[in-house]
Amino acid sequence: MNTNQINRRSWLQTSTTAVASVAAWKSPIIANANTMRTNAKACILLWMGGGPSQFETFSPKPDHANGGETTVTSTAVPGIQISSQLPATAAAMKELCLIRSVHGPEGSHPRASYVSHTGYLPTASVKHPTIGAHVTQHIGDQQSELPSFVHIGRSRGVFTAGLLGVEYDPFILNSADQMPANTELLTSKNRYVRRLGLLENLEDDGSKEGSRQFIKANRNLYEKASRLVLSPQMNTFDITQERNDVRSSYGVGNFASGCLMARRLVEAGVTFIEVASSNWDTHFDNASRTNTLCQEIDKPYAQLLTDLKQRGLLDTTLVIWMGEFGRTPRINSRAGRDHYPRAFNVALAGAGVRGGQVIGATDPSGNNITDQPVSVNDLLTTIYDALGIDSFHENLSRIGRPIRIVEDGEIIEGVF
Amino acid sequence: MTKLLNSVIVLTVWCFSPLVSFAQSPIEIANKIDELLISETAVSQTTICDDETFLRRAFFDIVGQPPSLEDVLVYGLEPSVNKRSLLIEYLLTDKTYGTNWSRYWRDVIMFRRTNDQSLLGVASLESYLTDALNHGVSWDRIATDFITAKGDIKEDGRAVFIAAQQGRPEETVSEISRIFLGIQIQCAQCHDHPTDRWKQEQFHELVAFFPRVALRPQQEPRSFIVTATDFVGRRRSPNANNRFAGTLEHTMPNLAEPTLPGQVMTPKFFVSGQTLSTGTTDAVRRNSLARWITSPDNPWFAKAVTNRLWAELVGEGFYEPVDDIGPDRIPSAPKTMDYLANEFTLSGYDLKWLMQTIMSTQAYQRSSLDRRNYDQIPFQANTIQPLRSDQLFDSVMSVFEISDTGNEGSGLGPRRAQSPRNVFADIFGYDPNDPRGDVAASIPQSLAMMNSTFINEQIQARQGTMLYRLLQEVQSNRAAVQELYLRVYSRRPTRKELNTSLAYIQNVANRDESFEDLLWALLNSAEFKTRR
Repeated sequence: MNTNQINRRSWLQTSTTAVASVAAWKSPIIANANTMRTNAKACILLWMGGGPSQFETFSPKPDHANGGETTVTSTAVPGIQISSQLPATAAAMKELCLIRSVHGPEGSHPRASYVSHTGYLPTASVKHPTIGAHVTQHIGDQQSELPSFVHIGRSRGVFTAGLLGVEYDPFILNSADQMPANTELLTSKNRYVRRLGLLENLEDDGSKEGSRQFIKANRNLYEKASRLVLSPQMNTFDITQERNDVRSSYGVGNFASGCLMARRLVEAGVTFIEVASSNWDTHFDNASRTNTLCQEIDKPYAQLLTDLKQRGLLDTTLVIWMGEFGRTPRINSRAGRDHYPRAFNVALAGAGVRGGQVIGATDPSGNNITDQPVSVNDLLTTIYDALGIDSFHENLSRIGRPIRIVEDGEIIEGVF
Repeated sequence: MTKLLNSVIVLTVWCFSPLVSFAQSPIEIANKIDELLISETAVSQTTICDDETFLRRAFFDIVGQPPSLEDVLVYGLEPSVNKRSLLIEYLLTDKTYGTNWSRYWRDVIMFRRTNDQSLLGVASLESYLTDALNHGVSWDRIATDFITAKGDIKEDGRAVFIAAQQGRPEETVSEISRIFLGIQIQCAQCHDHPTDRWKQEQFHELVAFFPRVALRPQQEPRSFIVTATDFVGRRRSPNANNRFAGTLEHTMPNLAEPTLPGQVMTPKFFVSGQTLSTGTTDAVRRNSLARWITSPDNPWFAKAVTNRLWAELVGEGFYEPVDDIGPDRIPSAPKTMDYLANEFTLSGYDLKWLMQTIMSTQAYQRSSLDRRNYDQIPFQANTIQPLRSDQLFDSVMSVFEISDTGNEGSGLGPRRAQSPRNVFADIFGYDPNDPRGDVAASIPQSLAMMNSTFINEQIQARQGTMLYRLLQEVQSNRAAVQELYLRVYSRRPTRKELNTSLAYIQNVANRDESFEDLLWALLNSAEFKTRR
């Protein structure tokens, strides 16, 4: 673990009573924080599409009727309990900062997903960039042969770079168990290179003065695409290269493969990876269905954190677990829970985030936030801050309107 | 692929019996436009493109696909001096004109959707637009149809415009203003417009034409219905999650004090100042708005679409971006713009007339060049543009001589993505509202063109492919290269291109392989993916 982090953590723990010293200490703390945060190189967003139930994951309420049948387990951090369906995650609790008091403005899937990815309500006039696009634009490695922003898995909507342009769009893998579409050469490498040479010669022959813009752009693009398909790093996309014991440590399923792929991509220098899990929209049989989903994500999530840490990558990689909203405290007549944007959970880890803690709380019924409400924009601001990105940075819309990365967000107190 | 110009006779017949007669001769108006353009810009020393370029350009612009080999040969042999005009008139009567432009307008509307469920109505939207455009339905009628639509989006394409914004009044009127007036009044939603004269109040007065509109889901068969709420008794409680019911009146929120109730707005059209009283029915509100927007007294209505079509055809709008034209923007050739918009109004908002007129100008028929820098003179050339996804898809199919199975898919998400055209659109589609100079190609696009199984199967010289037939029929390599160029680019190779190709063929020393490589190279070139 980073020594700055240890110092900061111990200081934060001891200083809760030493209020008077805050002013004196503030600036070095911020200085340290900034140094550390600009070290962040990568971000993995584990997207729980459909809106996971907070009661069956990170905010169980076993002592209230709203909590249903869900039981709790102790975690590696004394005093923090989560659903007993997440045992591996519970063991990795020291890495996690749970936020139990997130609230959003929207209760419909596509609109809330858009808000969570962009910080804005959807509008016809501006297509706001998704988190991965901003992050890639600011801290992506321009020299990388692999794409800097990879989206893994089919999900309801894949958000794009919008006004930032296709250069920052996600490179989409429908499944982590297959190579990306159209990247495997269909001829020998020699013939492929020969074809590229022919293309280049013919375009030199045919191009006239004043009509070279598209030829140049096309050539640049084919160079980039060729660097990708011919790159030895393409092996990164082949998770069968992992040893069997490593693969089984992640468990099985699309999400497990996605998490393993995410770890491989981070190792290879990819900046932003979104791994999509879906089906969290449990309007009926919520408890049993959420339990099944928990089994699908528990091992891969915990193993991803463990692997990153073992490789020394967790200090520089932010791992986000989130969905578009939470689910209603009241269990409906079909044993389901409906959409609830007023109080839900997000978990952060890595990149200077102080693990082993809980931020925010709801009342025993789970209806209301009772401590430290966190808006979606606060969350996004914190994410960008962890990655060393100024969330007040403005981009211009197509009609020249300045659009901030995030409006009206504040860094969540205590995360770092 | 369609062979449109089946014989020389077709064009000659056209010469004597035009099926459509226009009130104002497009050619006379086109001449006047060229004069005006020269008088108010510094356009000089231009060249007119050759017939081969014109043919390919006109095909892409009107019917959205390249000419076939036969079309190229027939057109080349046609002796008429006015064969360009004849071609334009002829193509405008082909039904693929409607198909092509319905896809353009579909993208104008659907790329800005805030509601993905509206994709269920895409097929009906295309079919409404195709019919309307082919039958010469006027632009004011089409606008009115969208503004006043009600009904099931799978059955009535007109309702999809509103469904694309989930029936939400703010987004719907923003889109009406953007597309039909070229005015981005939504910037005044939260505060007075920073650069235009619009006030926040004026935006909300426009919204007040639409509060009663709603979008109701239907289970069997799954669809959505654009409805209106005119009775309080039927009103369900407002719900932020959906727009299943409307409200009787629109309330402008008090942004300074969000807890206060806000102000009930009276419907008022910001351009003309015409108003309705609160309490008016939905039908009267929307019909009035449609009438006022499409009135010849409202200059923005004609200007917006005139500028848009000019931009699509000549490659650069008088105003850029095309959907941000007023009122405080300065066009690059104001007199020309106003003259053309005015004549379009006098034509009865006839879109075919507008197309024919623009395509008859020298400005349209000039040789093509890259997009100019802003310090260069506008309209010196027709600007090279990336093909839209459907145009590129049809080009690929045309070169391979295979036909689209026509299965466009009607579902959402993965189900929709299954048709080859939609798979292509997911990779190559771009928002035609965006300034064309900002539209960039992506790595997945080059991967799909150079490395997909579909393309690689079709470029092989094995039984059943176009290349196989070509190499069987044409023994001389020189003639085969020439024909391949005609098929892919609608033009003959230059001497240099021919030499390079022949040298390559000789070098590889395997006829099939070398021609496969040549076809691969042509398909992956910038020229194939652009309209010039």
